[in-house]
Amino acid sequence: MNSSKKLGLLLITPAAIVVVMLFLVPVVLTAVFAFTNMSTSTGISGGAYQISPNALQELRDHYDMPSVAERLSQSGFAVDEPGLAALGKAGIDADIVTELRGHIGETFAARRDAERAIRNLNHRPSLREVKQISDQFNRSIMNARYDSKAALLAAVASVMPNLSGAEHQAIIAASYTGWTWTTGNFRRMASIPGTQRSLVNTMVYVAFTLTLFNIGFAMVLAITTFYMPSRAAGFFRGVWLLPRISPPVIYVLLWKWLAWDTGFLSVFLGRFGIHSRNWMLDSGTNAWVFVVLINGFVGASMGMLIFSSALQAIPRPLLYASEVDGASRWQQIWHIIMPQLRWPILFVTCYQTLSLLTSFDLILLSTNGGPGGSTEVWALATYHTALNNYAGNLEYGYGAAMALVLVVVGVFLSLAYLRLFNYRDLVAKPLIEH
Amino acid sequence: MRILLDGFTKSFGPMTVIDKMTLEIRDGEMLALLGPSGCGKSTTLFAICGIHKISAGRILFGDRDVTNVASQQRNVGVVFQSYALYPHMTVAENIAFPLEVKKLKAAEIKRQVDQMAELVHIEELMKRRPAELSGGQQQRVALARALVRKPDVLLLDEPLANLDSKLRLEMRSEIRRLQLATGITAILVTHDQVEAMSMCDRIAIMNAGEIVQIATPGEMYRNPRTEFVAGFLGNPPIAFLHGVATSGGFASVGGEAIALPASVPLPPPGSKLTLGIRPEHFGPTGNIPIRGRISFIETQGRENLYDVTLPSGSMLRSIQPLRGDVALNEEIEWSIAGDRILVFDEHGTRL
Ligand SMILES: Nc1ncnc2c1ncn2[C@@H]1O[C@H](COP(=O)(O)OP(=O)(O)O)[C@@H](O)[C@H]1O
Ligand SMILES: [Mg+2]
Repeated sequence: MNSSKKLGLLLITPAAIVVVMLFLVPVVLTAVFAFTNMSTSTGISGGAYQISPNALQELRDHYDMPSVAERLSQSGFAVDEPGLAALGKAGIDADIVTELRGHIGETFAARRDAERAIRNLNHRPSLREVKQISDQFNRSIMNARYDSKAALLAAVASVMPNLSGAEHQAIIAASYTGWTWTTGNFRRMASIPGTQRSLVNTMVYVAFTLTLFNIGFAMVLAITTFYMPSRAAGFFRGVWLLPRISPPVIYVLLWKWLAWDTGFLSVFLGRFGIHSRNWMLDSGTNAWVFVVLINGFVGASMGMLIFSSALQAIPRPLLYASEVDGASRWQQIWHIIMPQLRWPILFVTCYQTLSLLTSFDLILLSTNGGPGGSTEVWALATYHTALNNYAGNLEYGYGAAMALVLVVVGVFLSLAYLRLFNYRDLVAKPLIEH
Repeated sequence: MRILLDGFTKSFGPMTVIDKMTLEIRDGEMLALLGPSGCGKSTTLFAICGIHKISAGRILFGDRDVTNVASQQRNVGVVFQSYALYPHMTVAENIAFPLEVKKLKAAEIKRQVDQMAELVHIEELMKRRPAELSGGQQQRVALARALVRKPDVLLLDEPLANLDSKLRLEMRSEIRRLQLATGITAILVTHDQVEAMSMCDRIAIMNAGEIVQIATPGEMYRNPRTEFVAGFLGNPPIAFLHGVATSGGFASVGGEAIALPASVPLPPPGSKLTLGIRPEHFGPTGNIPIRGRISFIETQGRENLYDVTLPSGSMLRSIQPLRGDVALNEEIEWSIAGDRILVFDEHGTRL
């Protein structure tokens, strides 16, 4: 490698680090988490082993071991040799141990029964001793937590000594409380109705905001201000920049003031005898109108600026020529100006689709997906699933799987747009012949 | 069609670029608007085609007053200096555009476009885009687009300025050929006097927003109305001698005395005068001998151009067939053709 190449590598290193840390690592981590079942209950570090009701259910349904499940579920107390040995070590009176040996082989279904029998021994153990003794004869493993597989298997062996290796593996898998690798997130996503709903909501959100505002309204603003005297044009562009530069919380609060049941709209319409109500959350349709307006007014400014500067860059003689060629304003816009804006339109469409797909801040602040989930878009559903929901069980793994779908869709759409707008044609070098 | 600018005035904000200009372009003629850069030629052109609204005055196309008619309705063809071809359209689409916006039938458009392409000789370029054309080809496309709607007047804004010298010669005759073939009224804006003289029926020479003189090229060359016109036309340019009137003649600032023909009405002795002497009127033949030193020789191939510095420091130019008998810094005595001397008063007006 020569020195200039080395220098080049050195110079791009900081940028490369930033790219990797800020862009690549999150995507890779998302992809990794997407194939786990991490949640608040599994935690994100390792777990323990516990024969919980869930675990028994799984043994029954998934591993077809109903009899094993039945046996594991029984709590039980048994007077046996290992228990007697443990009692000796625990310092229980030898006479009591001797008397208990006479009861060897007896079992009790519940702690209460076992303890009554111990209290009734001839040697009358103290209350404390009754407790100690019953603990040593406790052979039930239901709901007990074990830190290792070995401890779990030892406990299982104490109630069911003759299980096969496969049955051991099944019990281990069913009772593990930590996260595991799984492709179940995607199966679940494909099967639950909430998925389809978020998908449709996202399409509505992106399609309407993008076409009506980020492109459509932005284009209207750019073209009308283009034909205005420059001072008035500057003023109008400034006005439409305000939503973009105001803090989102305040911006959304203004909308809420407008829409609340005691807000401007209700008060104003009240004068015409219309009942006051929360116009934003009143119905799904209303919520959509507000969501699109709130996002659109912010999103239009970028397109407006980009289209405006692209319009300024159109050579003036081209417009003059079209006028003397007889083109009306509309024909001029359609045949001369719009074709010159192909690149900016491509850019804004791509950029805004991706940013709309992943953005949910303004929806979160305004409707929070409501009413009844009717404005819950994919990104917001992801946020609710993984980071913030009422149930309190945050499903990191499932949320990551949802986020991964967004990443894939984003990449796919970018490629599709480039094709649609004939990227190669746009950047091709013209042949010049003299 | 006859075009008339009547008291045409154009201001940009507080700055009046053109003040009460009156100019008539006759039906079927090609008129050059000639003048230095910034004198208002393009402004005049843009007013005629309606791109600029005029500040005062009238514009007539034939008998029709088009002063307040939008450029879309004026029926003019314009070839812009940069050609202004639509970069996203093919050559055929560019030429068809003026017809497309009129919503003519596709077959009719095709017929007229093909006819136009044949006229300007670009039939084989129809599918290309402007970026794939040379300057001369772009020029032809621009001409075809301007002519295809059969305009009342063809306006050309410095059409040759962006071409190299060989193409410029070719397109010069080509544009003239098209104008004669179509019989269209045309206005050629240029700062190049050779273009104006070689292509046009008449020249309107402009200076600082005013038309100084309108005449045929030959008449304007022989008979310039002002010092500005005399200085603007002619290549190599005319030489001027500054001085004062004497009785029956002229004395330069440096002291050379030159007798002037009796036909020139001289002002009282002592008034300031300027003499204009074209290079072809100073040489071995002539009737007013004058001495000087050859200070520069420029070989132009068929002819040589000599700069002759007079004892006073003034300079005359002489253009002569090639000759080998004079050298740089040589003292010579050549003569001025006295009857061809152009005499201007102190305001630059021809006497
Ligand atoms: N749009 C304009 N705004 C202000 N001044 C202008 C404008 N167009 C031309 N001018 C001025 O008018 C004068 C004439 O310009 P123009 O007609 O373009 O000259 P030219 O003879 O070189 O074509 C120049 O001084 C120029 O600065
Ligand atoms: Mg000009």
